[in-house]
Amino acid sequence: MSSMTLNKYQLIIMADDKQVVLERILQVTRYRGFLINGMNAEVNTGNNVATITMSVSSERPISLLIDQINKLIDIKGVKVDNSEVQIQQHSA
Amino acid sequence: MTKSKTLTGGALLFEVLQEHGVQHVFGYPGGAIMPIYDALYDSDVKHFLCRHEQGAAFSAVGYARAAGTVGVCLATSGPGATNLITGLADALADSIPVVAITGQVPTAAMGSDAFQEIDIFGLSLACTKHSFQVTDINELEKVLHQAFEIALEGRHGPVLVDIPKDIQLAEVTQRLDKLSHLKNKVKLPLADISKALDLLTHAKQPILYVGGGVGMANAVEEVRDFAEKTGMPSVSTLKGLGAINPDNENHLGMLGMHGTKAANLAVQQSDLLVVVGARFDDRVTGKLDEFAPNAKVIHFDIDTAEINKRRDADAAILGDLKGNLPLLTTELDIADWQQKLQQMNTDFAWRYDHPGDSIFAPGVLKTVSDLMPSNTCVTTDVGQHQMWAAQHMTFDDPSNFLTSGGMGTMGFGLPAAIGAQISRPHDTVIAVSGDGSIMMNVQELATIKRYQIPVKVVLIDNAKLGMVRQWQDLFFDGRLSETDLSDNPDFVMLAQAFDIKSQLITKKSEVKAAIEEMLDHDGPYLLQVKIDAAENVWPLVPPNTANDKMMESV
Ligand SMILES: Cc1ncc(C[n+]2csc(CCOP(=O)(O)OP(=O)(O)O)c2C)c(N)n1
Ligand SMILES: [Mg+2]
Repeated sequence: MSSMTLNKYQLIIMADDKQVVLERILQVTRYRGFLINGMNAEVNTGNNVATITMSVSSERPISLLIDQINKLIDIKGVKVDNSEVQIQQHSA
Repeated sequence: MTKSKTLTGGALLFEVLQEHGVQHVFGYPGGAIMPIYDALYDSDVKHFLCRHEQGAAFSAVGYARAAGTVGVCLATSGPGATNLITGLADALADSIPVVAITGQVPTAAMGSDAFQEIDIFGLSLACTKHSFQVTDINELEKVLHQAFEIALEGRHGPVLVDIPKDIQLAEVTQRLDKLSHLKNKVKLPLADISKALDLLTHAKQPILYVGGGVGMANAVEEVRDFAEKTGMPSVSTLKGLGAINPDNENHLGMLGMHGTKAANLAVQQSDLLVVVGARFDDRVTGKLDEFAPNAKVIHFDIDTAEINKRRDADAAILGDLKGNLPLLTTELDIADWQQKLQQMNTDFAWRYDHPGDSIFAPGVLKTVSDLMPSNTCVTTDVGQHQMWAAQHMTFDDPSNFLTSGGMGTMGFGLPAAIGAQISRPHDTVIAVSGDGSIMMNVQELATIKRYQIPVKVVLIDNAKLGMVRQWQDLFFDGRLSETDLSDNPDFVMLAQAFDIKSQLITKKSEVKAAIEEMLDHDGPYLLQVKIDAAENVWPLVPPNTANDKMMESV
């Protein structure tokens, strides 16, 4: 039985309110090895700014994901909302 | 100021392409892109009809890489668009500026599983730097400008613009000024220059680790200058080859899985890596935990996300290499280290005294390299021949060695050579291919025939998927599963079917004259070089192994 330490983070993402921005964030998050535990998205609001809050967990440092999300063209900014919360998961 | 003239979306596309200096595009027509092809009919942009959309994408990549500009390809919806994907993935992995235009079914039909409808916009998310789908004719011009800017801004990459058929037909009168359509970029954090200088002046065994970013940052001159003035020994990645002056006696060649013994040993012993436009790729580092174990790292990159991604940097210098690297130029007191590595360079120099009559591929490629005119552009396919080309040929600029690095895509070499030759009509272009790889885009011989593109193909024929066969022999107990190609077509006859002059050679004694004949020939040429199927690429760092534990023979 191996044990891995998952860190949980809350991200706040500000983006240009483009139709596909949510899909891009989901794709990058999955591909870079982060599990999405929940999200709240205010998109297509008509005021050009989308605000997305997302809680994610991973063994990987959150800076890896922040840098990759920041690279998306429509992103205005990403910040981590809380200090790290560690959760233990056990897998066979 | 806005100009007023009525244009269709299709005509507008070509006007904007020309505003961005585009003279040549590669593509393939079909139903959903017909209005664009109709506009092409009246345009001064020259279109090259490739024989598969993958060929069009790779020709755009080759064009971009050889000329240092944006490559453009066009495809219809559905299967046309999906055929571009491998080329876009290749361009993403190697950071190549490409703009791909796809036709889409009319907006009213979108989402109805219409004929030749595929969600290429959705598919593009994982294989482009950015993508657009235009659903309003008034957005089209802005989107096209943005596509070019994004392809070239920061770390280069491919951008896809999907244009539904009704938007191609719609009319627009208002034109935009050609201005920047990108939002202001985030300011990069201040660089650790003083920290880097401190690391540098204290280093006794530094190595300059040169990647593909150097050529793309247009910083070859600055990197050469830095290497000369500091006297720092250097190693190159596959994509970094050509950046360091071939005469630099402190250059140790390629590092990594098939790197030179000198390069890999030097990196393992170094106490400082100065990394310029490189990303610690797994093919470079071998076992990451054991890569350059005693080295501090100064990392120069344009992409923040590459810093600390696979190896932590002790000093990170983000931004334009061209401006930043000179800030670090200083004289170093490393004579002992230089001498030690120069000695390794001599002790471990390549040998071409292969016994017997049969043709030794490294020797062939060395001879091609020695005989080819200066500023020749070489492309490769993927496999053993690719690694031999990287090891045994010398390039005077990164734009003269085009190889699929990040993606390792078989089928790259021939169409990339076509694109390179079109962008640089006065330079010699040579595609080094394999008998497996050439068949992946063999239809592009028809493109060569149609436009009489004088590409020279050196086909290294081992009647095998040689690289996979080598791994089966070394790591899978010699169980040769599906790597035999002894029933290959007659390549000489195949070339002749496309009016391409060709010759087969089988003996060492024929090599030099055949290469001379090929290089002297005015038009396209295919030289089939039969080699021993059992030859391996050496040295080889086995997977997940430290780079100093390389195998040198069996
Ligand atoms: C599109 C694609 N499919 C499969 C592979 C896996 N692969 C890597 S090298 C190779 C063999 C290439 O054979 P050939 O072109 O004859 O080159 P050789 O190694 O014999 O020189 C294969 C199948 C790949 N790199 N690209
Ligand atoms: Mg082969």
